[in-house]
Amino acid sequence: MEFLFLRILKLSMKILVMMLLFLGNIRNSVAYLSSSSEATMHTNNWAVLVCTSRFWFNYRHMANTLSLYRTVRRLGIPDERIILMLADDMACNARNKYPAQVFNNENHRLNLYGDNVEVDYRGYEVTVENFMRVLTGRHENAVPRSKRLLSDEGSHILLYMTGHGGDEFLKFQDSEELQSHDLADAVKQMKEKRRFKELLIMVDTCQASTLFSQLHSPGVLAIGSSMKGENSYSHHLDPDVGVSVVDRFTFYTLAFFERLNMYDNASLSSLFNSYNPNLLMSTAYYRMDLYQRHLEEVPVTNFFGSVMETIHTDSAYTSFTNKNFGGAKTKTILDQSLSGSDINSVRNSDEDQFNNLTAEEDRHDEVGQCIFCAMDSGHLWSFILSKVITNESVDFFVCYGLFLMLPLLVFSTWLSL
Amino acid sequence: MAEAKTHNNSNKPRPRLLKFLVMQIISHSTIVSVICFIAGIVALLLLPILAMNTYISENALMPGSANNMLSSHDVTVANKLVKDLADLKLRSNGSPIESRKLIAQYMLGLDAEVTYHNFYPQLNQFHPLHFFTSPDSSIISKNVSCASIGINTVGIIRAPRGDGKEAIVLVTPYNPKKVGSEDALSLGVAYSVFSLLSRVTWLAKDIIWLVADSQFGEYSSVSAWLREYQAPHFHRVVVNSETCNESSTMEGKLHSGFRRAGTMTVALVVKVAEEGNHFDDSLSIYAEASNGQMPNLDLINIVNYLAVHKQRLWMKVSKMESLLGSKWLNTLGVFFESMGQYARRLNPQWKFGIPANEYVEGTATLASSMYYQSLGVPTGPHGAFRDYQIDAITVEISPKVSPAKMNRHIDFILRYGRLIEGVVRSVNNLLEKFHHSYFLYLMTGPSKFVSVGYYMIPFALLAAPLPIVAASLHVFSSKTTPQAPGASEVDASLESWKWIYSARKVFVIHLWGVAISLLPYFLVQIPGLTPTTNLTAWGSLAVLSLVILYSILGYPTSGAVASGAEKREWTNLKSVTLTAVSIGLSLMSIINFATAEIGALLIVPFCLMARPLMLDIQARSMRTLLLATLNLALGFIAFPPSAFFLLKSAFGYSDGYNISDYWNWMESLWAWNSATYLYIGIVHLPCWALCIHILFHPC
Repeated sequence: MEFLFLRILKLSMKILVMMLLFLGNIRNSVAYLSSSSEATMHTNNWAVLVCTSRFWFNYRHMANTLSLYRTVRRLGIPDERIILMLADDMACNARNKYPAQVFNNENHRLNLYGDNVEVDYRGYEVTVENFMRVLTGRHENAVPRSKRLLSDEGSHILLYMTGHGGDEFLKFQDSEELQSHDLADAVKQMKEKRRFKELLIMVDTCQASTLFSQLHSPGVLAIGSSMKGENSYSHHLDPDVGVSVVDRFTFYTLAFFERLNMYDNASLSSLFNSYNPNLLMSTAYYRMDLYQRHLEEVPVTNFFGSVMETIHTDSAYTSFTNKNFGGAKTKTILDQSLSGSDINSVRNSDEDQFNNLTAEEDRHDEVGQCIFCAMDSGHLWSFILSKVITNESVDFFVCYGLFLMLPLLVFSTWLSL
Repeated sequence: MAEAKTHNNSNKPRPRLLKFLVMQIISHSTIVSVICFIAGIVALLLLPILAMNTYISENALMPGSANNMLSSHDVTVANKLVKDLADLKLRSNGSPIESRKLIAQYMLGLDAEVTYHNFYPQLNQFHPLHFFTSPDSSIISKNVSCASIGINTVGIIRAPRGDGKEAIVLVTPYNPKKVGSEDALSLGVAYSVFSLLSRVTWLAKDIIWLVADSQFGEYSSVSAWLREYQAPHFHRVVVNSETCNESSTMEGKLHSGFRRAGTMTVALVVKVAEEGNHFDDSLSIYAEASNGQMPNLDLINIVNYLAVHKQRLWMKVSKMESLLGSKWLNTLGVFFESMGQYARRLNPQWKFGIPANEYVEGTATLASSMYYQSLGVPTGPHGAFRDYQIDAITVEISPKVSPAKMNRHIDFILRYGRLIEGVVRSVNNLLEKFHHSYFLYLMTGPSKFVSVGYYMIPFALLAAPLPIVAASLHVFSSKTTPQAPGASEVDASLESWKWIYSARKVFVIHLWGVAISLLPYFLVQIPGLTPTTNLTAWGSLAVLSLVILYSILGYPTSGAVASGAEKREWTNLKSVTLTAVSIGLSLMSIINFATAEIGALLIVPFCLMARPLMLDIQARSMRTLLLATLNLALGFIAFPPSAFFLLKSAFGYSDGYNISDYWNWMESLWAWNSATYLYIGIVHLPCWALCIHILFHPC
């Protein structure tokens, strides 16, 4: 009787274990599927900034792009994650009264073309073909890494374009056009290749809104300077340089960002609401039907900076638990001081080989800074600790240790008396 | 011909629409041609109303977008140059060498590359063998003295960061033998701009300042320099320049040899008028180059925009002053104005009426624009540039008081220096040649123009009746041929080829026209002839050769031919003549549109009306007599010399009717290689002679 009961118990246990295993598999696979879109964390920020027009009288387009470049750098996107495409060289144009300088305001307070501007595609390299290659990542083998958009499925990408456009096209180089179909196709390919998590397309050109009409990929947010049939105008003319130096839409975008630093929590909706049609002389248009999140909840620094949600994790690495133990602690400390880009790159480091490189560098840095690393010297002690104490009881251990210290202190003082 | 045959075959089911329309037009040719002609004249009168406002078409130009940088320092130095030139005139009584040296020194002071360009002025001569090409410059006699040599002073500023492939030219004509204060002032204006441009960092094109030695005429010095610049002659006889220059003090500083900059994109000739105009400072623009070629309208637009909106100047383009006061034109203007108002009352969106005074002014400007284009003679030194496809205009500044009496040179130089600076800066922004705006246009005001699309219409309407009437004459002459009942097919086909004889006659008369056009070349070879004797000789030779031709080819009355064939002969001749006229006018409209337009106005009515006087006299009715007198009057108008004098008196240039004026006028036409001369000789005169022949045809 007892024997029978035991056998039944064994059987049910077996079934239970099998079911558990099976369910676990399913959960894993589901998690894997969904990880490509929503579940993936926002890991890094990229920016592709394109000025598509040539010629001296289009000075303002280059100034627009360089202003955006400066802003996103100021807000924390590092230079290696910005692809800057400038179709002409205004700074060294013979007509430029201020050689090697570009201004976006007639007060000339800010030279946009400083020493650390890295132009990735310049002059005749800025073509529709190269633009599409950058977006879709289909490059020739010889193209250096600095000219590639090496984003991943956790990337937030800012795509800024300015130039002369029309109904469903944007002119490149006075010789070719990027059509709205081309743009939508490129974005679709990017989505398929998991090259972005969220994409913000910002276009400052005439009839900019028409450029977004063919977009279908989820996670894309688009904003244009003008509606169909409207022109986008320049903001003001610099009588010293003799050309218009900035477009209205970009000017007011910059005015919005000048008030911010990378810790500000201004939302995208506040940016979008800041556009005044009377000042723009056109109606800013944004398309959000492909975007899942509420604009009120998304800080602008999600795209224009490199600030992202930081997730506190205790163990990111399985191989060297002791280091991770220290690492996890460090992160919580750094969270308050540093913007999270470096730290977060640690967590998802195994997703992308390129991220791996940076992540490893970061880890070394952290290990160097780590105050707990002194413990490494007591290798045996830490080994015993790791054997005895599970990760969860660390806090308890520390607390009890402190409390145990008190009587010890009392005892030692009593002895010394 | 074929049409006539099919028309006879009436057993065909149904004529096709196009053929039907053509037949209708041809059979009603009289009414159609009258309507077309009247419509053509009305369309011509409507042109000032159809004129559009000018606008700057090229984006790159951006005139007036930059602040003026001309400083008081530039102007003071420029003023000093003006003063020095005036002093020099007093001191050394205008030695050409001294003043030239002074200008070169001032240029050198700005770190410009300065050279002298020696040229031997070529007098304009008639070269029948290379009519459309410039004469060879290598024919220079070796024994040239210094006095007969012109010396241009050329200063070049290289763009500091430019590629040196393009250049902007400033030209100031200046006579070193007789330095007028207006010349000195124009030099001052150019110097101030040149001085500024030598400092600025924004130059993308080199700047060439040509001080053209205008003692042999402004045009010839500029064209000599251009010829050297564009088509150098390496084998030519070099005049011993050192003996003429005497530039010992500046030895080594001047560049030897001919210096070039890049391709010239734009040239600006700056002149100051000798006389003050007593009203206000104003600016005149001369743009017509040879054979009615115009510079790109954008160039005129920039100058106009900067002058009117930035410097607050009056802009002027030349007008037929006599038309301004004419009563009939004013009446027409009032009529059009009221028509426009009436139309606006019907539909507020129709806006084509312009005020009467505006209409009169537009017409006067249009007439002048058309006249100068049709002449084919450049209206200034800018014409030399157009021969090399360089856009150029002459800007003539007419100050309020005459330059000799002017006190405040500084203000003057500052104001106009800024204008020139603005134009240079705007053109400096240009990336390609001017190509956006119009090249074919007529001005009806400083900021109004009629584009080719509109001014084609009157000409097309005027010329349209010619082929129609020709076809109708041909069709009906072969239709009315009395076909003998037993006549064979061969006879009929021979009959239909009758026009060949007329064509031969027309061809011979045109050959005569060519010979007549070449005659002046031989006449001017004979020394010591006055224009009057030349003209008389020309005229008598022309008549003599015509008579000889007649006697050779057979005068119509000589043979006792059947009168029926004689009667038909003139219709054939007229139809072929009309064809020749229409071909000639169409060809001319391609070369010089304005000439073709005016020519059509003169010759078309006469050609259409021409019919033997004998017919009218025989009929002896009131209508036919009227027709005969009208024919004679039209024949008188269409005759080139009489047309010349009639137009002259109509436009108020009648300073005595000297017969030699006509010779001088024709001389100027061939000297400037104007296609108008060829048109008159080869198209207009032969056709007129043929029409006269028809007029006196015996019937």
